[in-house]
Amino acid sequence: MAMDPVAGDALALFETHRADLLRARRTQTMMFAGGFLLALGLSIWVSQFYPGKLGPGVPRIFEYLATITPDLRLDVLFAGRDAAGDAVPGSLTYWYVDLPKYLGLLAETVAMAATATMLGAVVAFALSFPAARNLAPNRWLFVASRRLLELFRGIPEILIALILVFMVGIGPLAGVLAIALHTAGALGKLFAEVNENASLRPVEGIRGVGGDWFDEMRYGVVPQVIPNFISYTLLRFEINVRASSIVGFVGAGGIGQELYHVISFYSDDRVLAVLILIVAMVTVIDLISERFRIRFIGREAFV
Amino acid sequence: MSAPGLAALTPADLAAARAAHPGAFGDPRRRAMVWGGWGLALAYLTLSLWWFDIGKLFAASDRVWSLLAAFFVWEDMANWQYRQIYVGIAQTLAMAFLGTLLASVAALFIGFLGARNTMPVSVMRHAVRRILDVLRGVDQLIWALVFVRAVGLGPLAGVLAIFISDTGTLGKLYAEAIENIDRRQVEGVRSTGASPIKVVRYGYLPQVLPVFISQSLYFFESAARSATILGIVGAGGIGMILIERFRANLYDQVAFVVLNVLVCIYLIDWMSRKIRERVIGEVGR
Repeated sequence: MAMDPVAGDALALFETHRADLLRARRTQTMMFAGGFLLALGLSIWVSQFYPGKLGPGVPRIFEYLATITPDLRLDVLFAGRDAAGDAVPGSLTYWYVDLPKYLGLLAETVAMAATATMLGAVVAFALSFPAARNLAPNRWLFVASRRLLELFRGIPEILIALILVFMVGIGPLAGVLAIALHTAGALGKLFAEVNENASLRPVEGIRGVGGDWFDEMRYGVVPQVIPNFISYTLLRFEINVRASSIVGFVGAGGIGQELYHVISFYSDDRVLAVLILIVAMVTVIDLISERFRIRFIGREAFV
Repeated sequence: MSAPGLAALTPADLAAARAAHPGAFGDPRRRAMVWGGWGLALAYLTLSLWWFDIGKLFAASDRVWSLLAAFFVWEDMANWQYRQIYVGIAQTLAMAFLGTLLASVAALFIGFLGARNTMPVSVMRHAVRRILDVLRGVDQLIWALVFVRAVGLGPLAGVLAIFISDTGTLGKLYAEAIENIDRRQVEGVRSTGASPIKVVRYGYLPQVLPVFISQSLYFFESAARSATILGIVGAGGIGMILIERFRANLYDQVAFVVLNVLVCIYLIDWMSRKIRERVIGEVGR
């Protein structure tokens, strides 16, 4: 009778089912493990990452770290310049003898990041309304602005900087434009997402009193989204400070140009001097910008 | 109640309304500050663009157009060294894979050393965290430049650069994941008298492994992106081929390589999303 199966049958059924499940799971695991090992083997082969090469390579890293470490001597660490106006070897003054030049370049780096962030944010702002699904005046404009933003952020900024250096010549302008383009793409996407989450009721209100599309955006959407926009822009500024410190590697201005020069031609304690300054600059900018972000969003939250 | 027309309002009415509802009329000081802020921003933008010599962009417009045209007119395609290009792309992906894998393994140990619940010695924990901060604070491209000087041109420098900078970020994320676990499972395993290794294996790992795998996959995607440009400073991969073609004014090949790289990155994103959905049960991003 079907209603009264023998106990052994149920057990056998359970066991076979369980075995099937286990087998399926084991096959899946084996497949992933096999794929993983295959990828690992291929990677090692393609990139020639053999222990034989790594062995002599690792000590060389430490040798290099030793060459970029300055010979600071404790007794003269804070010594200024001597009577002849020369810095004492082993003092901080001697290590950072080019400090005024570095500081100028750091200022240029931050200025590049600020200008690029502003330019990019303006473009992103303009494109974020047609690129928001619920606000776009028509489908073609929506698709076109979405694709344009994807194009802007799809190509790494240092690559755009390389192209622009060939177009407008060596100097910070290429870096500013490259970072601005990338920023427009990255911020435009975030802005568009903020716009898509905005309430449509104010928009309908503006439309009800006879506003056109620009009025709807200006008075219906912008007041809702501006705090988020500013917060994202500040966050992007932090990222752009990092970016503008490396676009110099391809000749696009900022402290990166000096770092590249120092690493390529000298490889002595100046490398570490510039590196420390870059890390310090990035950290300080992050702290300041974070404070602003919290204050701005915090104040807006109360209104 | 009928609303009177605007013309019927007298200054006295306005003053009364302003006194009754100060919030509705806006604060002139605040408005001045907002406009002043915009004015300052505009002034800075104009000044800095002038300082950065924006005129060069317009002066160079002939060059801009001829260069852009060179990207889109593909000539002499039979003689492009496709083999070299695709080996370069494969090398880029291999660098990203190895770098992320090594970083994940390192972060697995460092994560336990940097998490509050697994590393009770706070001096040790803070030391680990600060080292991770430094690894993360220096940009990947800078690490690549340093490693190229240290171990020579080639993919080894790229792998090491990805390894170091991803260790900094993954180590921090792993440590945070370990701090956020459910303590009860760990206590359950410990109460059976398991050794510390077994507590980690059966108490911690089952909870954190899905998070670890998911984060490592994200970092593989991001490493595949960034590995394409590491070659610009000589750290192997497609970037070296890219900059070489650039220097030789072969812009059509540059465009071809960039297109190929974009397709590869898209494929990797798609694959990694599939793996995440299948293995970890995450839906969407």
